[in-house]
Amino acid sequence: MTRGPHAMSRRQLIRHTAWFGAAVGFAVVGGEVVSHVADATAAEKAVGRPTLRFAQVSDSHIGFTGAPNPDVAGSFGHAIDQINNLGYTPDFVIHTGDLTHLSTPGQFDQVKQMLGGLKTPHVFTVPGEHDSVDDAGQKYRNAFGAGSVGDGWYSFDVAGVHVIALVNTLNLHKLGHLGVDQLEFVEKDVARLSSDTPIIVFSHIPLFAMYPDWGWGTDDAAQALSYLRRFASVTCLNGHVHQLFSKTEGNVTFYSGTTTAYPLPRPGDGPAPKPVTLPAGKLRDVLGVREVTYTKGETALALKEDRLQ
Amino acid sequence: MTLTGLSVRIGFAASLLVGAVSHAYLYIHGYRHIPAIGTAFLIQASVSFALALLIVLGGPGWLRWAAAAVAGGSLGAFALSRTIGIFGFSERGWDPSPYAALSVCAEVLTVLLWAGLVANARRMKVV
Repeated sequence: MTRGPHAMSRRQLIRHTAWFGAAVGFAVVGGEVVSHVADATAAEKAVGRPTLRFAQVSDSHIGFTGAPNPDVAGSFGHAIDQINNLGYTPDFVIHTGDLTHLSTPGQFDQVKQMLGGLKTPHVFTVPGEHDSVDDAGQKYRNAFGAGSVGDGWYSFDVAGVHVIALVNTLNLHKLGHLGVDQLEFVEKDVARLSSDTPIIVFSHIPLFAMYPDWGWGTDDAAQALSYLRRFASVTCLNGHVHQLFSKTEGNVTFYSGTTTAYPLPRPGDGPAPKPVTLPAGKLRDVLGVREVTYTKGETALALKEDRLQ
Repeated sequence: MTLTGLSVRIGFAASLLVGAVSHAYLYIHGYRHIPAIGTAFLIQASVSFALALLIVLGGPGWLRWAAAAVAGGSLGAFALSRTIGIFGFSERGWDPSPYAALSVCAEVLTVLLWAGLVANARRMKVV
């Protein structure tokens, strides 16, 4: 066999292999060091347990029937079991809307009973557009509206964190809408807070323009967010889009959560956001719940996405 | 080793290190919690660090190609994150400041150094 003009000698091959090995080795060491520093920084800030731990579940669509998920109640039940077996008791659980599929009294009754099975001191909800199909959210408020103001919005303080639940599904045309009353509520609600108070906002429809052509945005969210600009850390959690997505705008980070019911297409993938039927055995991969942890002293909340098991 | 060659080596190492440190800082301070993006930042930082070290130690030419690939890939990911999103993640403008701008400048410098080397090598071949 003849050797070409660019053929590599054995010595050269060994030398290149050594350099490659060194590159891999240093990369692994570098990665380990950075991970260790990250863990140490987090551990330093965390004295004992995190300040706040809660779970998010979304878009259970109780009452939906169809090939994308023939048993939405079953998968929602699994999500509840999963939260009950996190290994700790979450301070609260939020459901970011579309609890039911068609807002019937039976569906509200069923989802309320199921949520009652969560091992947590508090469950907080906001309505999705499927929870106000025919009555502007009256049945939703009858079932879940206790303690809310206006058309179902509210806020509360927990472990030094201010949490705001917004309703942007009642007056929607194409995009979600908060309305003047709710914007006034937000402005007054945060006026008393110091700028270092961590803020968590949850709503059904995203408060950022995720994909306006499909209504995945809120037309007057900019006004609400303008009241939150002075805060060091603002975290917005939403449902509606049935998939994970995150976006950062200055001090505000938006996190879309997945569903326990059925997947929707990626933004712009197809003419409309219709339920997607996945191959057998693949559905659980896209359904899930989210764990959220806040540790005093950290700017960002820690999110952990858990697939439905 | 000529002075130019040494300067280029140091330039590669410095630009890679700036990108690595920026990504590592962001990873430590919150990005590790973002699905997929956190892991990508960790890989970017550790691979850039390794390449910087080996290039400054006088490693073979393919390390510069690898450096350009990492820097170019990072720039592509940055562009995606500001437009259509990447792994379900998007950001706006030069946030987080100043790390986004620092990284981009460092990565552009890495790519330019690599392009300069390639152009020079081709010129030498022609001559």
